[in-house]
Amino acid sequence: MFDDLKPEALRYVGKSEKKVDDTEKLTGEAVYVSDMKFPGMLYAQVKKSPHARARIRNIDSGKAQAIPGVRAVITGEELAYRLGLYVVDKYILARGEVRHYGEAVAAVAADTPEIARAAVEAITVDYEELPPVLHHMDALKPDAPLVHPDLGSYSYVAAAFTPKPGSNIANHTKLRKGDVDKGFAESAWIIEREYSCPSVQHVPMETHVAIVKWSSGDKVSIWTSAQSPFTVRNLFCHAFSLPHNNVRVIIPYVGGGFGGKAGIGVEPLCAVLSRKAGGRPVKFQASREEEFSLLPCRSALTYRIRTGISSEGKILAQHMTMYWDSGAYADYAVNVTRASGYSASGPYEIPNAWIDAYTIYTNKPFGTAYRGFGHVEFHWAIERHMELLALAIGMDPLEFRRKNALRPGSRTLTGEELTEHSGSVLKCIDTVAAAISYGKITKEEAGREKRTGWKIGKGIAALQKAPAMPPFTATAVIIKMNEDGSVTVNLALTDLGQGTYTSIRQIVAERLGFVLEKVKISFDCDTEKDPYDWQTVASKGLFLSGNAAIIAAEDLLKKAYAVAAEVLHVGLRDLGHDGDKVFLRHHPARSISFSSMAVGYMMPNGNGIGGPLIGVGKYIAQGLTNLNKETGEGHPALNWTFGAHGMVVEANLETGEYRVLRIASAFDVGKAVNPELVRGQAIGGMMQGLGTAMCEGYIYDKEGRLLNPSFTDNKIPTAKDLPLEVECFVVETAQIDGPYGARGVGEHSMISVAAALGNALRKATGAEILHMPIRFEDVWRALRNKKPIDNWITKSPLGSCRSVKDIPSVAD
Amino acid sequence: MLYEFRYRAPKTASEMIRLLDDHRDDGKILAGGTDLLPNIRDGNIRPAVVIDAKKIQSADSIAWSASEGLVMGNAVTINDVLRCREARELFPVLCDCARQLASHQIRNRATVAGNVVNASPCADMAPALLCLDAFAVLESASGTRQVPFSEFFTGVKHTVLKAGEFLEKIIIPASAAGARGYYLKLKRIAGHDLGIIGVLMVRRNNGIRFGVSSAAPTPVLVDGMLDKDGVDAAIVKVLAAIKPIDDIRASGEYRAFMASTYIRRLWQEIK
Repeated sequence: MFDDLKPEALRYVGKSEKKVDDTEKLTGEAVYVSDMKFPGMLYAQVKKSPHARARIRNIDSGKAQAIPGVRAVITGEELAYRLGLYVVDKYILARGEVRHYGEAVAAVAADTPEIARAAVEAITVDYEELPPVLHHMDALKPDAPLVHPDLGSYSYVAAAFTPKPGSNIANHTKLRKGDVDKGFAESAWIIEREYSCPSVQHVPMETHVAIVKWSSGDKVSIWTSAQSPFTVRNLFCHAFSLPHNNVRVIIPYVGGGFGGKAGIGVEPLCAVLSRKAGGRPVKFQASREEEFSLLPCRSALTYRIRTGISSEGKILAQHMTMYWDSGAYADYAVNVTRASGYSASGPYEIPNAWIDAYTIYTNKPFGTAYRGFGHVEFHWAIERHMELLALAIGMDPLEFRRKNALRPGSRTLTGEELTEHSGSVLKCIDTVAAAISYGKITKEEAGREKRTGWKIGKGIAALQKAPAMPPFTATAVIIKMNEDGSVTVNLALTDLGQGTYTSIRQIVAERLGFVLEKVKISFDCDTEKDPYDWQTVASKGLFLSGNAAIIAAEDLLKKAYAVAAEVLHVGLRDLGHDGDKVFLRHHPARSISFSSMAVGYMMPNGNGIGGPLIGVGKYIAQGLTNLNKETGEGHPALNWTFGAHGMVVEANLETGEYRVLRIASAFDVGKAVNPELVRGQAIGGMMQGLGTAMCEGYIYDKEGRLLNPSFTDNKIPTAKDLPLEVECFVVETAQIDGPYGARGVGEHSMISVAAALGNALRKATGAEILHMPIRFEDVWRALRNKKPIDNWITKSPLGSCRSVKDIPSVAD
Repeated sequence: MLYEFRYRAPKTASEMIRLLDDHRDDGKILAGGTDLLPNIRDGNIRPAVVIDAKKIQSADSIAWSASEGLVMGNAVTINDVLRCREARELFPVLCDCARQLASHQIRNRATVAGNVVNASPCADMAPALLCLDAFAVLESASGTRQVPFSEFFTGVKHTVLKAGEFLEKIIIPASAAGARGYYLKLKRIAGHDLGIIGVLMVRRNNGIRFGVSSAAPTPVLVDGMLDKDGVDAAIVKVLAAIKPIDDIRASGEYRAFMASTYIRRLWQEIK
């Protein structure tokens, strides 16, 4: 879709237009599902497991049912439906066995939330506690309890995933490129290390919430705070074996998702309660604590990397093993594993690569998509690794990165050849390095060091990500012209704050040649009224929906031209248009206005021609392939967005305290359709990344209970934690098939922030930190060669992931 | 709230005493509510009667007099303290601690009295009250008693308050006016957080004392130090008085280390 238009020819694309939803959100007029209430609506509450693993002997809900105002009580025994995006492994409510702390075992719908809560408290569950398997490395041991003994009988998407029945492995992704043995044999250095990060929570402002009404004739209406209306509908219909046209999903404004609302969430639970309560609408809104353990989190990762390097500092071979903690269910974690598996080296050329990426079941809250889809986690490892490799071989880390960075002509891990249009990680690296004066301490900084007694260090980390999506991912956009010649745009991509609607509006106005005010994007998404979109995930929205919007605009103009040609008795080629009318190019006075043909043109004698003007555009990803399951070869990437962060920190060498003074970020976005929105995404993602880098992370006790399921002890950063200086840069290497050259950048700003912090801290203090988050005490411990804190963020109960020889071997 | 309780709002102290006497087992006092309400919501407590202390006459008064000192009613919020000119000018260390407590929004609700009655080891107001020789005025059916804060805390979430008794006011004696010092609090984020460790150093009449939070079952006062003893001796004395534990916020080892670091920093700063 890339038009070779000069920037000065563009009227809206490339300009920082105001966000379309600013006013509604700032005034509180925007209505979220949290705000919604329907006549006769019931409120749901769930009974949750206090155990990580237990057999359910009996559930006594008699007392609950007797409470006045209770309209439905339901347990897993009544619900045989299994759900799953890729591996169908999860019941709506636990049946037979609970597999993680916080798992729902029973649910109630009642007239008020108070009654529902009292009813849940009145339900008694008789559990037989079973030994849980908690750390993902322990789950690989031959004698580990199986989280899913029936894994072999589950259905799954065979084109992309490989579960291992009889083990806790939900998926094994392989990639084999070149000849690693030869690469290692030729290497001057071989260096191996292991990195890890814990599970974290997305923390959207609006917690998961849905209202579902199961009407007669099995017609189901769902209002939900979700990212992807059509995916909710599709998964819902599969789970309940309902025709798709029986189910309607409506998504109004959404208070944040970050991947946690990508798939299906609390909708099925509300649905079965509504059905049981005779079709009354049922609302469930998760509490903040339920966000942490009833709903999914981001998977923990242990990542082991062995690298062979030539005497000149070129990477010759890399052996990479990823152990992803899926928690109790596979959900998105298996696809995080797959998408990370083919991107595992970061933006560097690895001629000989060997990757095994495992998704491992444990008895913990389950993992799902989270901004970056695995890339935040493994870039933490790979970008710390690049730093430590450079130091080990005596090279400057920046030079080492430049030497090994992907560039035109390089082949990615899956064998895709990059071109000069693929985006430039080198430009991003150089931009941020210059911005932070990498490699030197300025006079001002030296003065600050003297004044504070704290040491300043600078670090760089680069990143890459392509959308993780099926190779045939598609979307559609419809542009409807209104009576006055303005247009309304319908699409089922959701805007949950990222600002894509604002960019799509600019694209539509640009292509139509209309003033921006004439273009409105319809905000609510409705599967019965909007055209299909796969999901709002993967940083693919602007690319796919932007292209579809361009095609829809062209279609609309084509249809308008057809009417005008007939009215004006001229050929199509003689026509031109502006924001109000279609005219004869060599006699502009001969024209007809868009408004006169918007819903059908009336000839002077009253005859009508044309009809409502509706432009339809669809776009499907081009040229992507499934990956070979044995070698990982293929073409998975719609586009690669590259980026880099440069960070300046100051640290106290005595205590491990540190402050981020400055961060500069650069992303090759192809074309910044709206530079301020890019900046918004860059700062938001950077802060989210900094939070996970500094302090976030699930901590469990030895029975698998989550010890920090709230903001009391799962701190997230606030505005006060913003670095003193934040700079965002865009590099614009146009993406040939992107809308006006653009590629996605929604997730990228969060990736590699933690590694940049680790690298800058290493420079400032010498502390070699291999696990996230980096709390002050972690720095202090690293500086004093003390063992990391044994609080389950970093260690298994048996300490099995700390040394190479204890790593369980995994049968192929 | 997710269950029904009775709400009472006495207008006088004697009415309050009567209510407390009637609800020794099932009543809870509501001041700012920043601890009580989360505890009710989380199901940790389930009072049948919630007795609002804010409506008692002059409960929200904060007043200074040279004879009595700084007198704070039990509904005085943290931000009330920060808005009080005499508090800022005469008791700067009280205000240092107040500024470190939670966030501005919470400080609008949270009270000084609630902070100490809740008796968390990490109560931010406690170090200041300890170091300034403040005392609590407790009322009950059997009369009034005054308890210095050095004797007020008895354990984690435990105080000398008996059933039927309530904290009516907090008094900082005039003799403590002008005490200088500063409160250092280690947190996980720059914004509001419970302290991992907090150390207040106060200088009064050439004597030096420390109030330490998050380092023992109760907030700790260590006093009786002089400049000539030197900082190392001060550190030894404070470390002997605290008992930091390992928990998910930090290890006891790091807490002790940071306590001594803070003492060293404060010793240098507060001349």
